[in-house]
Amino acid sequence: MDCEKFDRICLDFLYDELDELTHAGAKRHTEHCLRCRDIAARVRATREVGRVPEVDPPEGLEVRILVAERRARAELPLRQRFGRVLSVLASYAMRPQLAMGALLLLVIASSMILFRARPGEQMNVFVTERGIPESDSDTVAILPLRTRIKDAEDAPRARVSVNARQPEPAPDVTDATSESTAPAPADTADRDYERALAAYRDRRFTEAEERFLAIAARGAEKAPAAALQAAQAARARSGCPAAAPLFEKAYQRFPHTQPGQEAAWQAAGCYRTLGDFERARQHYQALLDRPGYADRAQAALASMGDSPR
Amino acid sequence: MEYRPTVPPAVPQDASDEMLMVRYQRGDRQAFAEIVRRHHRRVYNFALLQLCSERAAEDAAEDAFRRLVQNAARFKHEARFSTWLYRIVHEVCSRALESGRARRAEQNAIRDDALLLETEESGIGRHSAPALERAKGLSPIAASVVGALDELPDDQRAVFLLKEVAHLPLRDIAEVTDTTEHAVKTRLRYALDRLQRVLSGFEEYARALR
Repeated sequence: MDCEKFDRICLDFLYDELDELTHAGAKRHTEHCLRCRDIAARVRATREVGRVPEVDPPEGLEVRILVAERRARAELPLRQRFGRVLSVLASYAMRPQLAMGALLLLVIASSMILFRARPGEQMNVFVTERGIPESDSDTVAILPLRTRIKDAEDAPRARVSVNARQPEPAPDVTDATSESTAPAPADTADRDYERALAAYRDRRFTEAEERFLAIAARGAEKAPAAALQAAQAARARSGCPAAAPLFEKAYQRFPHTQPGQEAAWQAAGCYRTLGDFERARQHYQALLDRPGYADRAQAALASMGDSPR
Repeated sequence: MEYRPTVPPAVPQDASDEMLMVRYQRGDRQAFAEIVRRHHRRVYNFALLQLCSERAAEDAAEDAFRRLVQNAARFKHEARFSTWLYRIVHEVCSRALESGRARRAEQNAIRDDALLLETEESGIGRHSAPALERAKGLSPIAASVVGALDELPDDQRAVFLLKEVAHLPLRDIAEVTDTTEHAVKTRLRYALDRLQRVLSGFEEYARALR
């Protein structure tokens, strides 16, 4: 370093604003150059001795400035105040915690979309063609149409109860209008039976039970089936306590018909449900010699082997 | 019921000025109070040595911080806060000096003794009575320094005070005064030479040279 260069950086050297390398060079130069050393010494002494005197500000100045700040803020134009609010919001929006939270919510939401149940998987309600929920099919057995019952009477091995999942096509006989459009019944008994059946389908079980009991009481051709269905309507309305005596009565009245034997089977099930195992056993035993029921009755009795007598 | 003043949220004492300013931009007034606490003394002394009037220095300090509030939204956190603050303070003091000078020129033209007396009492401007009064309470060396500063041209005195009172780097002083770094060094060198001539008669100076 030479004197000319030292003159250029003299103040930087004295105010310690040089980089380390240049500072070392300047220091080395002053050790060898009397002129530059003298200049540096004089400036340094001037700074040391001629330190600018500082005084304490008046006591109220700080408060005065803060009051002025409050006034100045109040006078700020609306645009600047709005900008300040935006700045605050932006500062929150830019925080990594918020970004992480948003990302987490996004992941959770997308997971819910991916793992949600498929449509219809859980909310399905299986309904028979006649409008009866599948869950009721165990306790409610709908008799098929008149023609089917007739066939069933002709073929004793056929079961009366209807599988709700495999309904038979049936003409709509739910109201008076349909009565007029449906094939006209041969006699009054048939019309009454159709009305009772319509009431049952509409879940008007009390009315259905009364109608079926009336048909059964008349003793016509449909009496056995009506007696059985009256009991089924009673079970659908009030459960086994009301239905069991009606099933039993239907069996006692028509023991040699298919509906009567079905009534015996249903009565046994109801008594078993009610805990009256003795009577249940009696009905199962009564069915041991009936075709179509013997095997099932035998199995039911075997399963009751440990039941209290 | 006993009155308990609400305790404001604490501002970190080690927070930088720039961080405090950013907090103030977001509405934290405690941050501004901390800025004032840190800087009002230096700002006041800078204005006092520039304007040679306690009253004018108070007004200038208040005005500078008021302008800081008004322009707070423009502050960029990458900038150096002290440079930004003293740019405002320097501008306020320069305007006050210009205003005082203009008034004095007007009064000289009118040659109205009464008005002239009033101007001297206001204290803004060089060689004013309050400056001399202030120098009376100081040590001989300090009074000489104040007197020497009083004799300096405005631009040299401003550069000297920005270095010795505000402790700004030379590069930042160039930015505050809207000039080059070379010009800043030249003005500072002149100011130091002047001060050196004044101080050369004191024994303390001779002792410092040894």
